[in-house]
Amino acid sequence: MVGDDTRIDAAHAAVRALIAAKVRFLLPMTIIYFVGYIGLTVVAGFAKDLMAIKVVGSLNVGFTLIALNYVLSWILALIYERVANRVFDPLSSAAVTSARGAAR
Amino acid sequence: MSITLIIFVLILLVTLGITYWAARRTTTTSDFYAADSQLTAAQNGFALAGDWCSAAAFLGFSGLTALYGMDGAFYALGPLVAFCTVLFLIAEPLRNSGKYTLGDVIRSRMQTRSSLLAAITGTIVVNFAYLMPQMAGAGILVRLLTGISYDWAVIFVGASMIVYVAFGGMLATTWVQIVKAVLMLGAGAIVLVLAFVLVHFDPLSFFADTEVKYGSSYLLPGNYLKNPFDQISLGLGYVLGLAGLPHVMTRFYTVPDAKTARRSVVWVMFLAGAFFAATTLFGLAAASFVGQDAIRAADKGGNLALPLLAQYLGGGKDSFGGELMLGFVAAVAVATILAVVSALTLSTSSSIAHDFYVNWMKAGHVEGRQEVWIARLAAVVIGILAIALGILAQGVNVAVLVILAICVAASANFPVLILSLFWRRFNTGGVIGGMAAGLTSSVVLAMIGPAMRGSEAIWPLVNPTIVSLPIGFLGAVVGSLITTRDFENEKRFDAFLLQVHTGSAAE
Repeated sequence: MVGDDTRIDAAHAAVRALIAAKVRFLLPMTIIYFVGYIGLTVVAGFAKDLMAIKVVGSLNVGFTLIALNYVLSWILALIYERVANRVFDPLSSAAVTSARGAAR
Repeated sequence: MSITLIIFVLILLVTLGITYWAARRTTTTSDFYAADSQLTAAQNGFALAGDWCSAAAFLGFSGLTALYGMDGAFYALGPLVAFCTVLFLIAEPLRNSGKYTLGDVIRSRMQTRSSLLAAITGTIVVNFAYLMPQMAGAGILVRLLTGISYDWAVIFVGASMIVYVAFGGMLATTWVQIVKAVLMLGAGAIVLVLAFVLVHFDPLSFFADTEVKYGSSYLLPGNYLKNPFDQISLGLGYVLGLAGLPHVMTRFYTVPDAKTARRSVVWVMFLAGAFFAATTLFGLAAASFVGQDAIRAADKGGNLALPLLAQYLGGGKDSFGGELMLGFVAAVAVATILAVVSALTLSTSSSIAHDFYVNWMKAGHVEGRQEVWIARLAAVVIGILAIALGILAQGVNVAVLVILAICVAASANFPVLILSLFWRRFNTGGVIGGMAAGLTSSVVLAMIGPAMRGSEAIWPLVNPTIVSLPIGFLGAVVGSLITTRDFENEKRFDAFLLQVHTGSAAE
């Protein structure tokens, strides 16, 4: 790799900023879907009574939570796409630009 | 039965036409392995839906719900949530850092031969564990649906997939998957609308009716997976295992960039997710209209719940509408199997040709045209092997292999991939340690568990992921820490991170 060290450092700093932004958004989002889904399997296994409570007619809490998990996954996917387009992509372009500068 | 055959022959002619078209456009390695990375997000999203919905999803989820109520709904939910892991952590880094295979990612990070061999092992074990039960399932299903014998059904399915993959490579495989996904979603939509019309658009009546017929416990968890830890273990296996399935990962190399990869995951989450949610309603509707006794009488595992429901909604047995609907759903089920086995064959032959022969044996010194021919040859050999294994598997308990595929993917491939992408200190020792620990613990626990040994099981869980996954991660971390630090590798890691997160090489 050609280029002076300070510019390489600048490129790496830009990548680190991108990673920090990813961690800031993705850590909570990952915790939400993971706890939401694995938590549901734990509740299904150990709190059957809770799952049996009726919500509307014969529809119980269990099926309602399963339906909510679908909706949650879809919402998180759309949020991710929005955040990636608006936050991650500009940071990624910035990192590429400074890396190209470093290589020149 | 004749309607099934007619519809199926039509599907077959379309897919062969696609293969002929694709074969003329497949000359370079990039064409063969990755459809020249030219697919759009929507195309890849449909293909991913075709890839990820096996017959187990198309027929199995509805059947499980019909026979066991809520546990079937759990089975259907996991495969959607799994795409959150893929979307957040895997899809874009894979697109940015790899070329055609899992082996490429590991090789570009570690630059050692032994780590490449570990990645090849993970790919081939998972793919064959997945492929063999699909072949056996194809044999049973095609025999059930068309009346031809098991052996001939396996040979027929195997021969078709060899033709798709060997001649048309990724382009043909992709379009076979897209056709299958469109047919599957179309069949699902028709069945859903007909079922809704019958209950005057009140889906709650499915719950009410099945509760009356089969008791309140039907709508509660624990009818199929009796051990609560099995429920959790299955969930973990799905959510992290999808990200370790080589034939799914390969799909992200068929798009031009990370943005398209991202968009294609959003597509599949809505397409496949909607279908998975619908399978729960199909199951309840089948239990309500067709009845559990009739479903069990047709197939003990419940796999014919959806075709029988379609027959009922079309007008019932011996009516033209009923036979047409049954024939259509049955033909789509066979198309579903063809699409999945083709993807598995392609992914395995890519690993054998690209990772093993070209990069491991020949250190990359193989001409492109020659590599394509080797990959085609590998597809033929793997296809023949899959046919032989499928025939041998008749009457053998293949359930353990299904569990093994997803469990090894979650416990060996996933830890190795995720640590390669995100941990600076990770080295070749870690790759080998993680692969060995995840693989061994999955195989041993599955073999001594109830899926293999029934009531004589030494180990209580059907799905061992809850234990084998931490063992896999432990093996990867310990393997890295006890072997010598690879300072060259750690120094390269900054450049690797740039590649992983931006798709742009440092030099």
